[in-house]
Amino acid sequence: MKKYSFLAIACVIMLALFSACKSGADHRALIITGQNNHNWKVTTPIFKVLLEQTGIFSVDVAVSPDKGGDMNKFTPKFSNYEVIVLNYSGDSWSEKTKSEFIEFVKNGGGVVVVHAADNSFPDWPAYSEMIGLGWGRTEKDGPFVYFKGDKMVIDTTAGPSGGHGERQEFTVRTRNTQHPITKGLPPRWMHGKDELYSKLRGPAKNMEILATAFAPPGKGGTGRDEPILIVTNYGKGRIFHTVLGHGDVDGGPAIQCAGFIVTLQRGTEWAATGQVTQKVPYDFPTAAGTSLRVNYQEMTLEDDLIKIGGYDITKSTKYFVDLQSRIRAEGTTPEKRQQFEHFMIELLENKAATDEGKKLILRELSWMGSDLSIPVITKLLQNPALKDDAKFALARLQPTK
Amino acid sequence: MTDKSTRRDFLKKSTAISAGAFLLPQIIPSTALGMGGKLPPSDRIIMGAIGVGSQGTGNMGTFLEHIKEVQFVAVCDVDSNHSKNAKGLVDAANKNSDCRTYSDYREFLEKEKLDAVCIALPDHWHGLIYSAAANKKLDIYGEKPLARTIYDGRAIVSAVKRNNIVWQTGSWQRSTPNFHRAVELVLNGRIGKVTRIEVGLPDGNKGVGTPPIKEVPANLDWEMWLGPAPKVPFRGVVHWQWRWILDYSGGQLTDWAGHHIDIAQWGIGMERSGPVEFSGEGVYPREGLFNVPVEYNINCKYANGIEMRVANSSQLPTKNGGATWYGEKGWINVDRGRLIASDPKILEEVIGENEIHPYKSINHVGNFLECVKSRGETVAPVEIAHRSISVGLLGEIAMTTGQKFQWDPVKEEIIGNPVASRLLVRPYREPWELPKI
Repeated sequence: MKKYSFLAIACVIMLALFSACKSGADHRALIITGQNNHNWKVTTPIFKVLLEQTGIFSVDVAVSPDKGGDMNKFTPKFSNYEVIVLNYSGDSWSEKTKSEFIEFVKNGGGVVVVHAADNSFPDWPAYSEMIGLGWGRTEKDGPFVYFKGDKMVIDTTAGPSGGHGERQEFTVRTRNTQHPITKGLPPRWMHGKDELYSKLRGPAKNMEILATAFAPPGKGGTGRDEPILIVTNYGKGRIFHTVLGHGDVDGGPAIQCAGFIVTLQRGTEWAATGQVTQKVPYDFPTAAGTSLRVNYQEMTLEDDLIKIGGYDITKSTKYFVDLQSRIRAEGTTPEKRQQFEHFMIELLENKAATDEGKKLILRELSWMGSDLSIPVITKLLQNPALKDDAKFALARLQPTK
Repeated sequence: MTDKSTRRDFLKKSTAISAGAFLLPQIIPSTALGMGGKLPPSDRIIMGAIGVGSQGTGNMGTFLEHIKEVQFVAVCDVDSNHSKNAKGLVDAANKNSDCRTYSDYREFLEKEKLDAVCIALPDHWHGLIYSAAANKKLDIYGEKPLARTIYDGRAIVSAVKRNNIVWQTGSWQRSTPNFHRAVELVLNGRIGKVTRIEVGLPDGNKGVGTPPIKEVPANLDWEMWLGPAPKVPFRGVVHWQWRWILDYSGGQLTDWAGHHIDIAQWGIGMERSGPVEFSGEGVYPREGLFNVPVEYNINCKYANGIEMRVANSSQLPTKNGGATWYGEKGWINVDRGRLIASDPKILEEVIGENEIHPYKSINHVGNFLECVKSRGETVAPVEIAHRSISVGLLGEIAMTTGQKFQWDPVKEEIIGNPVASRLLVRPYREPWELPKI
């Protein structure tokens, strides 16, 4: 008995070590698309890249037959994957495919429902239960669900579900900042121009609304705080449902929004594993405004500094604000601050960098810089455009002089 | 300065000199003589105003309601439209056209022979001009927040104390019944021992983007408006809007520290001290000229264990603005036009003779004028103003650095964090020099 226990413990330790050593794209995701009242041909490759760039997913894509095609031929092997991402809104699947999907989820598979995918399969009760709330449902499927103040409202009024006002930027309110998906997100953040789904209804079983947004009546909205990010459990499976992500012909702000991208990435990891290991990036939007990734890539520190080096007063200050966020979060010791300082000094010495960009850097160095900065700042006293700002920085860095 | 004889000099001298032997003050406008019901001219407080934009004009208007006790003789503003308008108000009150106008406060302070001055300026000017007026021995009604930095604030406090002048801060909530009553109840333990405080301040501002550079209008001395702040081209962002730019202000947080944090500290007897630990996080705009935080959340702790959270009110669970004290037996929330408690009976409580009776003022300007005469301490003296804004400014430093730090409220030093300590002062642009402490 004693020996057995020892072996069991050793096995557990080995397993733990093994999983700790594992790295790379070892979670398997399948994006399902092929029919959608939205531009799936544009959005699908983008979603694939977004999931791959987390470094934890290998991603396949399954394309269904065209609308009206023979759905019996559509038989994705769900069990080969940990998470199925639905960028699909179209014809019903075959009964066989449906029952395999249900089995997959019941056994602990993850599902991610993006935007119009919650319009799908209104006649398939199990799917309605998985998504919690959706379009095209009626009082037979379940209540309307929304927020009023801090309280979730279950509204059993009869009527069809789904709708949106005019496309707009809107403030998303994170209702639970402790859930793995939303932990560390700001309580309020501005989403890029998108459709604000409203009047969603459904079974709402085993469901939690992680984020909402107010749909202003002035823009055709309901005047309610509508669900934006939803999680449900179905059997052992986890489902993440984001109503965000209306893709335009060229992508567009709804899916360039770092808020959409990051919640999609985190939500997919949670659906696949029940955990989220990804850090919240510096460019996550805040209440102060949207944060769009034009090329769908997170800015690196080097990218930020290149942008700051080209800063002119009429250009965006967001790269500098991101640098400040990085310094706040990571510059917790003198050594760590000096890592930033080296880059900042390089910028001050770079003849191609703008004076306005250098002013921003001088102001930041004035509090977080070290003796390393003093010689290069002293040289800037000779530059009439930067003299005052250099003096300001030196007065703080060398208060006794 | 010694050749000037003012009403207060007279009061001081009159104890030593016989009634018939004194010199009259040098400026006695005709209207000041023999006006029905007014005090004799030597007893009227001769005043001027520096900064007569909307807030300064409003303050001056309140003083002019005390026309029997005060007489304005001069106004000063870097915007001649402001000073013209203010002169009109003063002349109408004095029924003459004698009010003098200035654009440079140094000339104003040099030439005018005043008893007192009311000052309402952007925060980045407070350190220099409050100190300069105090050094001229003028009693001061000044606007909150006291200063843009801890350094400037301490310099103002030391100038006021060194010159032994009377100071009133425009933290007028102190002179209103609901705030006074809330403080009285909390100080006397009617909610039990206080364990924590929430201070809810207004949410952030909206941006203006980056308007184009404009020609400075002829009525504005832009260089003098900027003063010790960094030189920037004029973009039409000036009166009122300076509140949203860090070179001049800390935004809603520092604007309102002088009101609700002021009241919160009064209620726990910490109004001349402060917390010992700070941490905080802010949300900063990504675009445009305005760069003060639009959301802010500051946590601090007093040496006696009381915790205080200061945030824009929509971040608070209750969403309540104002100050909320949570005690072992209940809570009290006070805001403008509101006083509520966990149990309404708390608000009926009678305070006994031998209990704590916080300073009672029912008229903020009137309280200042009384103190100018009595030489007593006002309801919102300079040390308290300094300690109220210190909480906001230290919270700002915690947000800027992202670091939690310890504060010594006696030595007024950030302990063991030389990096955060650099933010206790904002260097001035030449030729302006920091006021001396």
